[in-house]
Amino acid sequence: MVIRTAPLRGHRPALEGPGFLARADLQILIDLLREEGRRVIGPTVSDGAIVFDEVTSLDDLPRGIGDEQAPGRYRLRRRGDERLFGFVVGPTAWKKWTFPALVALTRASKDGHKLSFVPEPPDTSPVAFLGARACDLAALGVQDTVFTGTAFVDPDYAARRARVFIVAVQCTNAASTCFCTSMGTGPEVESGHDVLLTELDGGFLIEADTAAGRILLEKLPLRPASATEQYGAAATVAAVRARIGDPVPAAGLHDRLLAQLDNPRWAQVAERCITCGNCTLACPTCFCTTLTQTTDLTGVDAVMYRSWDSCFSPGFAKVAGGSFRSRPRDRYRQWLTHKFATWWDQFGSSGCVGCGRCITWCPVGIDVRDELNAIAPAVPLVPEVTLVEPVAATPNDFVTARVVASRQESVDTTTLTLTGTDPAFAKGSTGQFAMVALPGFPPLPISISRFLPDGIELTIRGAGPATKAMCAMLVGEELGLRGPLGNNWPLDRAVGRDLVIVTGGIGLAPLRPVLHAIVADRRRFGDVKLFYGARTPADLLFRDELERWGARDGIDVSLTVDRAGPGWTGRVGIVTHLFDQATWDGTNMTAFVCGPERMMQATATTLAGRGVPASRIHVTLERHMECGIGLCGHCQMGKYFVCRDGPVFSIGQLGDIFGREGI
Amino acid sequence: MATKSAPASAPAAARPRVGVVKFASCDGCQLTLLDLEDELLSVVEHFEIVDFPEATSSRSAGPYDVLFVEGSVSEPAHLERIVELRRRTRHLVTIGACATAGGIQALRNWGDHDAFRAGVYAHPEWIHSLARSTPIAEHVTVDAELRGCPIDPGQLVELLTALITGRRPQLRDESVCMECKRRGVVCVMVSKGSPCLGQVTQTGCGAICPRFGRGCYGCFGPREQANAAGLTRHLQMAGDRPREEVGRLFAGFTAYSEPFRSMVTELGGARTGRGATTAEPATTTGGKA
Repeated sequence: MVIRTAPLRGHRPALEGPGFLARADLQILIDLLREEGRRVIGPTVSDGAIVFDEVTSLDDLPRGIGDEQAPGRYRLRRRGDERLFGFVVGPTAWKKWTFPALVALTRASKDGHKLSFVPEPPDTSPVAFLGARACDLAALGVQDTVFTGTAFVDPDYAARRARVFIVAVQCTNAASTCFCTSMGTGPEVESGHDVLLTELDGGFLIEADTAAGRILLEKLPLRPASATEQYGAAATVAAVRARIGDPVPAAGLHDRLLAQLDNPRWAQVAERCITCGNCTLACPTCFCTTLTQTTDLTGVDAVMYRSWDSCFSPGFAKVAGGSFRSRPRDRYRQWLTHKFATWWDQFGSSGCVGCGRCITWCPVGIDVRDELNAIAPAVPLVPEVTLVEPVAATPNDFVTARVVASRQESVDTTTLTLTGTDPAFAKGSTGQFAMVALPGFPPLPISISRFLPDGIELTIRGAGPATKAMCAMLVGEELGLRGPLGNNWPLDRAVGRDLVIVTGGIGLAPLRPVLHAIVADRRRFGDVKLFYGARTPADLLFRDELERWGARDGIDVSLTVDRAGPGWTGRVGIVTHLFDQATWDGTNMTAFVCGPERMMQATATTLAGRGVPASRIHVTLERHMECGIGLCGHCQMGKYFVCRDGPVFSIGQLGDIFGREGI
Repeated sequence: MATKSAPASAPAAARPRVGVVKFASCDGCQLTLLDLEDELLSVVEHFEIVDFPEATSSRSAGPYDVLFVEGSVSEPAHLERIVELRRRTRHLVTIGACATAGGIQALRNWGDHDAFRAGVYAHPEWIHSLARSTPIAEHVTVDAELRGCPIDPGQLVELLTALITGRRPQLRDESVCMECKRRGVVCVMVSKGSPCLGQVTQTGCGAICPRFGRGCYGCFGPREQANAAGLTRHLQMAGDRPREEVGRLFAGFTAYSEPFRSMVTELGGARTGRGATTAEPATTTGGKA
C-alpha cells in the first residue's frame, strides 16, 4: 500500500515546515479569530452528541470525548486522554452556516396596484470553522459548485460562504461508517482550508494554506515541529486510510448505477426505508429546498422563505394531479442515483463525499454502501446531452409587469397581455417560460404564449388557487416575473424540413410562439402540420388564430375534440388518432409535442413508426418548479433539471427515462 | 377583446362567518384559537365569529363559511349533528387528534365497550356512548384538517391567512424528522436508542418532544405513506423490543388512524391491563343507548 503523507504546504516565513502548537495555546488561536470579529464555530457536546456550535474557550471543546458510530447508532465515549478532536463527524454539517435550514429570501408588499419585491440581505458577519475534516471541505466544495459554479450564482450562498475562515483538522480516527477513501475526498486534508491542524499527544502540528492563514500563524507561539512529530502525524492519517479501506469501489459507478433502474433491490430497500428524509438533511451536500410564503393577516406584506427540503417527502415532486415519484422506491432510487451518478452529469463530481452521516443518522440503519454494492454491477452506458443556453435572473429577484389586457380563452383559461416587462423578455425564445409571482402565492412556471416588442402574453389555466388568482387579474394590476427561463424549441434545426406539431388543451400555449415564428417566415420550412385536440369545441384555445393559420398562413391544421358539441362537424377522439393512419415518410421531419406525458409518449411512438428520428422528436416536460434555474432540486428528472436543462428535450436525449413511472 | 378593469379601491367584502364547535374532546384545541393573542384582533377583523362557546355566548345555527370542528364522534347524537353541521358549512376544518383521528378515546375501539361502562359508572344505562370513537372524516367530507394534540398555533394562523388570501394552506406532509434536522435537534433514536415515531408522523408541531430529548409519540398522526411496518420491524429486531411494547408506541392519541391502527391490532398495544381488549377493533358504530 502507498502511504500518502499529509501535505506540507503553506510555510510561514519564520518557520521551515509545519509548526507545533501546544494544546493549551489553541485558546490563543480562538481568541485571535474572535478579535478579528469572527464567531468561532466548533465541536461541542450537546444532547449526547458532538455538534457544531459557537465556541469561545477550550472548555467548550469535547476534551477526551470520542464517538462510536454504526448504521443507525451513535454513542459518545470517554477516550481516556486529553484530545480535543478525538472523534469523527457528528450530526451537524457545516452547511448550516453557508446554506441555513431556513432563510428569508424576498419580502413582497403591495401598495394599491403597485407591487415591490425586495430581496432579503443574507447574514454576512464573519465566522471561522474550527475542526472541519477532509470530507467536510470536499462537501463545501461540492456545494460551491452547485450554488456558484454554473451559469447562475445563488447570491445568498455566495455571500455567506465568502465570510468563512477554515481551520481544518486531520482525521486521526475513523468511524465504521466512513468511506471518504472510496469517494476520493479523504482522509487527508489537501485543499479548501486556511489553516490545518493535526492533533498529537501534547498539541498540534499546524500549517497554513492561504495568506490569511499565514498571517494568523505568525501571531501564534509556535516552534518548528520535530521530524518525529511530523512522521507521527503522517503515519496516523495513513493508518486512518488503511482502516477505512475501500468500501465502495467507485470506478464506473456512474454507469453501473444508471444501468440498474429496474433492479428489484429498489423495492426491497423501500420496505426498510421510512422515507423520513434524515439522510438528505444530515448530508453535507444535499441542496434541495422548498419555498414557503407567509402573509400577515392583513395580506399587505408577504415573505418568501427557503428551507431545506428532501426528495424523500411525498410532496417534493408533486404537481396538480399527483407526484412524479409516488412510490418510496422511486424516491430512494432518485436519491441514490442522483448522489452517485447524475450529480456527475450536472456538476462534474460525485454528490457524495463519504462522510457516512446518512448511514449513522438513518434511524433504521440503512447503509448506502451495502445498497450500492448490491445494486450496481458493471454494465457501461453512455447517455447523450444537448443543452441550450438560457437567459434569466436569480431566485430572490423579481421584475414587475402590468396587465394591459385579459382575454378569456375558455371556461378556465385566460390569456394575460403584459407590458413593461424587462427587455430580457424581448430576447426570449419559443418554448421558454417565466416564473410568475403574486405576493403570498408560490411563484409558478408559466410558458410564454406570445412575444411582443414591449411585452409578453401568458396563457394560464386556473387549476389551483395561484393560477386562479392570476386568471382573475384585472387590467392595471401588476405581477412579478423572472425569466425568460429554460431552453427553447430547436426551430433552427427544423429549417428546411417538414414540421409536425402535436398538442392538446393548454399545451398549445408554449407552441403558439413557434407558429408565430413559422408564419413570420413561412418559406423557410417544408410542410407544416398542426394536430390539436381539446376536451370540447369550447376548450379549443386561440380559435381565431387557428382559423387564420389554416385558411391564410399555409399551415395544415387538424382539430379533434373528446366530446362534440352543437355545431361541431369535425373529428372526435384523441389527438393521435388524427395521424396514426397517415402514410407520410417522417425521415425528413421534425416534431414538436406538448401534452400529458402519456399522450407525448404515444405520439412519439407513432412518429418514430413513421421514421422520425428520436433526436428530432422534441417534447416539453412539466415538473414541480420553484427556482427555475436548477437550484431548488424539485424538477429533477434523472440527470436533468427540467427547468434549467429543459423544459424542451428530444426523445433521444431522455432515453429510457421518458415515460418511466416514478422518475 | 373582453377586458376587465380594476376598480380604484375594492369594496370591503363581508367577513366570512366562522363557527367553532366541539364533539368528544377536551376543548384544548379551541383554546389554541384564543391563545393567538397577537393575532386575535386581526382575526376578528377578518372573520365574523358567529359561534364559539369557549369565547362568546352568542349562538348561530349557521350557515358557516368556515366551521372548525373539534372532537370525535362518540355518542349516538353526534351522528346526526355532524351531518347537519356539514350541510350548513362551506369549509369544514377538523382540528386536533380527536376530530382527525378519533383521539385517545378511540383506544376503547379495541376494548369491550359494555365492560368499560359497567366498570366505570354506577349506572351504565345512563351513559349514551357509541362502541367506537371515530374521526369526523369517517362521517362527512372534511375540507382541511389541523392535526395534533393540541393543534399548533402556527398552523392555525397559516390556515387563517390562507383563507384570507385564497391560497392553499402550506401544511407540509413530511416527517417530524425534517423539522428536527432543520433545527439541529440530535436524533434521540440514533443517539439514545429512544423509540420515536417522528419518522412516520406528520410534521407541524415543530418537533417539540425530540427538542426536549424524548421520542415523538405521534400526536399529529401518520403522515402520507407512513411506513409504520418498516419502523416496527426495525424496533423489534434492532431494538430487541417485545411486540406489545412496540405496539403500545402506536396506541396513543392517533392510534385509530391507519397504518397505526393496523400496528396496534397486529401487535396488541391497546391492552389496558384489565383484560378487556380484543385483538380487532370493534367494527360497528351502533351504540347502545
